[in-house]
Amino acid sequence: MSEACPDLSVRIGSLVLPNPVMTASGTFGYGLEYADICDLSRLGAVVIKAATVAPRVGNRPPRIVETAAGMLNAIGLQNPGADAIIAEKLPELAGFGVPIIANLAGECVDDYVLLADKFAACGHVAALELNISCPNVEGGMAFGVCPEMTAELVGSVRAITDLPLITKLSPNVTDITEIAVAAVTAGSDALSMINTLLGMSIDVRRRRPLLGNATGGLSGPAIRPVAVRCVWQVYDVVDVPIIGSGGIMCVEDALEFIMAGASAVAIGTANFVNPLAGTEILDGLVDYCQSNGIKDISEIVGVAHG
Amino acid sequence: MLSTECELLSNQLVAPDHYVMQILAPEIARASLPGQFVHLRIPRTMDPLLRRPLSVMLADKVHGHLRLLVRAAGRGTEIIVALPSGASVDLLGPLGSPFPMPDEIDGGSDKDVLLVAGGVGVAPLVCLADAMRSLDDTPYIRSMFGASTEDMLVCWTELAARSDEFSVATEDGSAGEEGLITEVLAGQLERGHARVVYGCGPAAMMAEVARMSAEAGVPCYCSFEQRMGCGVGACLSCAIGAAGGGYLRVCKDGPVFNAEQVDWEAIRDE
Ligand SMILES: Cc1cc2nc3c(=O)[nH]c(=O)nc-3n(C[C@H](O)[C@H](O)[C@H](O)COP(=O)(O)OP(=O)(O)OC[C@H]3O[C@@H](n4cnc5c(N)ncnc54)[C@H](O)[C@@H]3O)c2cc1C
Ligand SMILES: Cc1cc2nc3c(=O)[nH]c(=O)nc-3n(C[C@H](O)[C@H](O)[C@H](O)COP(=O)(O)O)c2cc1C
Ligand code: FES
Repeated sequence: MSEACPDLSVRIGSLVLPNPVMTASGTFGYGLEYADICDLSRLGAVVIKAATVAPRVGNRPPRIVETAAGMLNAIGLQNPGADAIIAEKLPELAGFGVPIIANLAGECVDDYVLLADKFAACGHVAALELNISCPNVEGGMAFGVCPEMTAELVGSVRAITDLPLITKLSPNVTDITEIAVAAVTAGSDALSMINTLLGMSIDVRRRRPLLGNATGGLSGPAIRPVAVRCVWQVYDVVDVPIIGSGGIMCVEDALEFIMAGASAVAIGTANFVNPLAGTEILDGLVDYCQSNGIKDISEIVGVAHG
Repeated sequence: MLSTECELLSNQLVAPDHYVMQILAPEIARASLPGQFVHLRIPRTMDPLLRRPLSVMLADKVHGHLRLLVRAAGRGTEIIVALPSGASVDLLGPLGSPFPMPDEIDGGSDKDVLLVAGGVGVAPLVCLADAMRSLDDTPYIRSMFGASTEDMLVCWTELAARSDEFSVATEDGSAGEEGLITEVLAGQLERGHARVVYGCGPAAMMAEVARMSAEAGVPCYCSFEQRMGCGVGACLSCAIGAAGGGYLRVCKDGPVFNAEQVDWEAIRDE
């Protein structure tokens, strides 16, 4: 006898995603790069690479280094600019029938407002993710480390759009709960965490930094315990959904985040290792629910808090 | 593009630190074109975490075998070359843009094709020579292979067997001409009978090959290396400088580029 399919849907503000497994910004391009190999329509959402107002060429290479159980990246927000993304990428991605979340990166509040306006107007995106946590560009993290600036930014974008707003938090702070509360109070419908941890690696032979940008963002299994801890702490202080990310490679990892308090998960570095990681984790969640008599995935969100 | 777990059929030491790995991968072998690569990892391990890009040296479409030439260059490739035959490897591929065939290049069809290999850079050129051999209109192939010592002329017989003429240079003079392979190329270009130059090897060698070809007015295509994340064009990790400013993705726009597309200064400075 086959078990009934569990309810995996997730609500983020006014948006209902079919399931909690999405791709993490910057690790899945515009989805199209993986369309050959991965059934995009099965994903809960595709979060596209960060968009900026003007095109950005990105940082000088080398842009990545493998580290113990992880990797450092300093891509430098390379992207063709919001207008080109909206005109050239989104219509094709929308054709796959997967919810699209735009990840926005700006240098000032006005940039974020303009970006939100453009993506809201294009009609293809289901939600906006405010990236206030990029460690790889000058000032990229400035908003994400200060509660007042976070609140001002989120509030300004909130004022001009009804699209669900997700704020992506940086772990490079003393107290992540302060930033989380500031974002939610200012109107963020959900929180995404964590972005990469600021790190560095040196080539001892050349006696120089390995990355062209010297410092970069650490991702992969190495950061998972930090990310789980962040989700755990923030779950206690906010009542909006949390999208967990940080080294999720398999279904057990995804479950760890869900039990810490995440309503959804974003798969990042794992896509490089296994392009089918997202859909395999989704299959694993269905199996887990069925074999544990879980009818609705929300039953186990935050369950580790007791 | 395909992600599959494949059987390693054999793994043979062919020179110090160099191995030829034969892998059963029928779909990838059938689909792969010269200059393309596979992104390889050992299944079910997170250490090393990322895949390693390796060029296809030969794709036997009939038997479904892929042959790779792997140099143990660091921690990841050391683990890979230590795999016993019968082991599983996870391949993503074939990836990247292939070498254009001579008939797609405007260079005079009665002229010769020059291949310039340095070290393990020989791998994609063997694949290219093999494909040109089976063209209806097979060009005259002059191949050149350079290495530090005779030992490092890995798989030279594979290239020689697919070439009409084959020359060698070693830095210590242990085989062929003593000196750099670009000195041999200079002689070939002087004959004025080249329609295209294909190169793969260390960046400094390719920069010189590109410069000399441009000077001789001969189109030149080189295959590049860069550190990769995804291998499919999504993460923008594998950037190399583009001639007009900005960056190209080695994994998707390359690894083969027309020498005029890239910013050689930036590549040298990296
Ligand atoms: C398109 C392409 C084709 C290649 N074909 C071959 C081939 O046929 N045979 C062969 O022996 N080698 C080939 N290489 C180089 C090979 O990928 C590297 O030697 C290998 O990745 C080094 O890994 P490692 O763990 O041993 O070294 P480490 O230095 O420990 O690697 C650390 C990290 O840097 C990356 N890295 C280091 N050096 C290179 C490099 N030169 N190119 C790309 N990534 C690098 C690794 O993948 C890894 O992520 C190719 C590279 C590219 C880009
Ligand atoms: C190559 C790379 C590029 C990234 N680019 C972005 C980006 O543009 N915007 C963003 O918000 N996060 C970006 N990230 C962070 C990821 O979305 C994710 O939050 C982080 O990598 C942690 O998850 P992981 O360990 O599963 O990769 C990037 C990460 C990587 C590895
Ligand atoms: S390795 Fe990801 S874009 Fe080339």
